[in-house]
Amino acid sequence: MTSKTSEVAAITEEQLVARLRARDEAAMTIFYDKYGTALYGVIARIVKKEEIAEDVLQESLVKIWHSFLSYDASKGRLFTWVLNICRNLAIDKIRSRQYRVGTRTQPLEDSAAQWQAAPSAFKPEHIGLEEITRQLNPEQKQIIDLLYFGGYTQSEVAEELDLPLGTVKTRARAAIKVLAKLIR
Amino acid sequence: MDIQQYIESGVLEQYVLGTLTVREQQEVEQLAAEFPAVQQELQVIRLALDGYAAAHAATPPAGMRERVLAGWQQAVRTPNGQAAADEAPRLVASVTAPVAPAPQPEAVVRSIDSAPSSASKFGWLVAAAVALLTLSAIGNYLLYNRLKETETNLEVARTEQSRYAATQQAALKERDDRARQLEILRSEQFRAVDLKGTPNAPDALARVYYNASSHAVYVDVRHLPALPSGKQYQLWALDKGKPVDAGVLTLEATTGDSLQQMKDIASAQAFAVTVENAGGSPTPTLSTMTVLGSI
Repeated sequence: MTSKTSEVAAITEEQLVARLRARDEAAMTIFYDKYGTALYGVIARIVKKEEIAEDVLQESLVKIWHSFLSYDASKGRLFTWVLNICRNLAIDKIRSRQYRVGTRTQPLEDSAAQWQAAPSAFKPEHIGLEEITRQLNPEQKQIIDLLYFGGYTQSEVAEELDLPLGTVKTRARAAIKVLAKLIR
Repeated sequence: MDIQQYIESGVLEQYVLGTLTVREQQEVEQLAAEFPAVQQELQVIRLALDGYAAAHAATPPAGMRERVLAGWQQAVRTPNGQAAADEAPRLVASVTAPVAPAPQPEAVVRSIDSAPSSASKFGWLVAAAVALLTLSAIGNYLLYNRLKETETNLEVARTEQSRYAATQQAALKERDDRARQLEILRSEQFRAVDLKGTPNAPDALARVYYNASSHAVYVDVRHLPALPSGKQYQLWALDKGKPVDAGVLTLEATTGDSLQQMKDIASAQAFAVTVENAGGSPTPTLSTMTVLGSI
């Protein structure tokens, strides 16, 4: 565990990307240790079930590995790219028909919140969820959660919350501004 | 296009959240390449959402790290890695199936003579399928390109059309204004009074149209010197030597862009324009008189 932590801390994003591009399987372990808890947390928040989150995370790792050559570092950070892969797979999962039947009607704030928060090894802009929740007002948080973790489009959010589309857009933008300020 | 307005429109958030259509995404990417402000805003949104995501890091169930990494390794090492990847096998014994169980002796014998023909047939099928797929892909590509082109043309046409509509509307409004002004100028009841420049402004020239029976007064500026800031021209009627306020001139009237109707004047023998503080003055500042003319 100690050697693992030091290796994760020592490697730069560039080095990690280079090693993954060179199909270095050991680099995937480092990747996991760096981003795993963050990716797992996001997936779990979306699919709301531990065992499904684990499946989706594994699927994501396979997809990341196979499509790694399409990652373009000039277009954004590795974390942004892998996060999108995980989010998309998780959202696809909850949008698949058999999944909807059981879960769609559950409120968004449930099981995921009960899981214990974990410090992410990936820290450049890490900030506590509590602090974020304090700063975002409830309407903004609700909208950003539906958009980010619910896989809703802005129009779907408007319909779901019975709000004008313009209001949804304004709140989403305001929420992102608050986040940007917190994270900067 | 107003870039600030575009940034405020919420489309960039949708782009980062991945809820735009391919075409809309392309538009965002194009604008991001063109305008650094768009690029920068995208970056801010990405960082904000990444940070929000990272804040949700959760402790995974015990043993997950080993399970997930082993499952991943198995998936990428299987010869059918890609296919297996889509099914995302968890660590289960059945995943070893693709290694192919040793065939039974008779099966080997039978497959020896049937193999060549079925293999070549299969080969042909694969070749045909690949060829069809390629053709279809090329067709799709061409159709997609044509669709994109058509959409662009349509958009250009729509923009043009709305611009023409706006221009036409402005032209109609202007024509109505001019028609009204012409009506006044042609009316017999209006009397034109030329106001000539005083020594203060020898080039200045204006004209007042006065209707003695309805008391209506219009002013039509040909040329008045530019004003210092905070000042406004004011028209005065002179009735038996006494100045009567006829109102201040709007900027439009001052620059000669249009006629302006002034305050009604019951009786007058002459008109004059002076420079006053913005908003007008109750009495004229005679030293600033710019034009003057009598009926």
